[in-house]
Amino acid sequence: MSADTALPAASCYLDEETFRLSCGLFLEHSHSLNDGWTWEMFSGSEKEGYMKKTVMVPCRLSSTPCQRRVVDDTDGLAEDEQLSDQDESAGELPGAEGQAVLRYEYHVLYSCSYQIPILYFRASTLEGRSLSLEEVWKNVHPNYQQRLRQGPWDTITQQEHPLLGQPFFMLHPCKTEEFMRPALETAHAKRMGVNYIVTWLSVVGPVVGLDVPLSYALAVGAPVPGTSASASAAASTAASAAASTSASAPD
Amino acid sequence: MADDKDVLRDVWFGRIPTCFTLYQDEVTEREAEPFYLLLPRVSYLTLVTDKVKKHFLKAMKQEDVEEMWLEYEGIPLKWHYPIGVLFDLHASNTALPWSVTVHFKSFPERDLLHCPTNSVIEAHFMSSIKEADTLKHKGQVINDMQKKDHKQLWMGLQNDKFDQFWAMNRKLMEYPTEEGGFRYIPFRIYQVLHKFHYTRTGKKTTSAHLNPYLAEPYDENIMPAEHSSHKETEQALLISLTVPHLGEK
Repeated sequence: MSADTALPAASCYLDEETFRLSCGLFLEHSHSLNDGWTWEMFSGSEKEGYMKKTVMVPCRLSSTPCQRRVVDDTDGLAEDEQLSDQDESAGELPGAEGQAVLRYEYHVLYSCSYQIPILYFRASTLEGRSLSLEEVWKNVHPNYQQRLRQGPWDTITQQEHPLLGQPFFMLHPCKTEEFMRPALETAHAKRMGVNYIVTWLSVVGPVVGLDVPLSYALAVGAPVPGTSASASAAASTAASAAASTSASAPD
Repeated sequence: MADDKDVLRDVWFGRIPTCFTLYQDEVTEREAEPFYLLLPRVSYLTLVTDKVKKHFLKAMKQEDVEEMWLEYEGIPLKWHYPIGVLFDLHASNTALPWSVTVHFKSFPERDLLHCPTNSVIEAHFMSSIKEADTLKHKGQVINDMQKKDHKQLWMGLQNDKFDQFWAMNRKLMEYPTEEGGFRYIPFRIYQVLHKFHYTRTGKKTTSAHLNPYLAEPYDENIMPAEHSSHKETEQALLISLTVPHLGEK
């Protein structure tokens, strides 16, 4: 590649500003799709916050209350939650006629220490019982079960949410560099401005039932470096849009 | 590091006399006497309270027992904070022994992480060590260590073996002399009023660099008064970086 490219060298790390700007672009597309992602500000600070989405995920557990009680609660689904489009995996469920689902709440946070985004989530049955770590492990997509069995304690564990201080599950970030580096290097070589959040989330999300539709990869680019004024305007637009669509305070 | 050995020992062997009492609403078959224990400041509650659990289980029926959790004056105690941090945060002004209430029912799901086995504590400890080393050495030291070295670090803490722990932790605290310090200094600020903590990084190892970060919470009187000496905190910080939390005296 020639040296006069406007793109900086590919790095698998993300500074906090770029994180926010990338999320801003991600959220803009989400709002056009109306697929439920919001920006949650933390203690009133626009700079500190996280992306959030709540999804109904098919239940792969064979023996939890979610299967027998889900029918009673289907009304609650329609309100403002999105049913994830996992038709093909729903078909694999043992006794799937009840279409058992679990409520997953995903948070995308920035880690200052690792300089990468981290996916936190919590999961519950529709009547509000929190899932245990074992249940979350069991509900991981079959394609990722082998990896999970190799090292359960460095894949998903329960952790304190760094901003809310509540128990959440966390997808461990230790492999992030491994898959982000080749992805970003390829994009860089082709002079494609990929959005870090889109690429990263489409890799880690599906492990725990979160899909990122293909249109994100097509529609959401990287924040343009050196244009902080317009970029921060985009972020604040997204933030205010998020503020108007989401419940005010994180619970 | 050699000069600090006495201080390191003092920090390591810091103990908090604690009295465990069963929660009044727990169903027992006979009266459960309080249980007394000296808790190591640098360890974790769930790692050192097996005896407490056994003691109270003797007075209870198995069907009345769920996961044990601990509480002090209505505050569920987060086992994943070091014991010294919990004490300084919630109870530094109280008379000793520290009076902790033991529960076997109604686990506070929204406040506490579950801790069914010691592997959970080990995973938590190792991930804190890893995070700290990422800031200090880009994770190079911890990644260069072998699995058995990681194990030694953990077993040192678990079995309260100072020499075993520091033989490994020493490597995590070193830096090349030409660099003159860590890349960043890892430390956490714990706050009582807000139910969260967060991580910030300061560059290099002088107190002048740290003070701006430390000033804010001190000014708001959030940290316990006994920790308001910057010098003392800096000392604690340098010692307990890989323990890895700030807060030990």
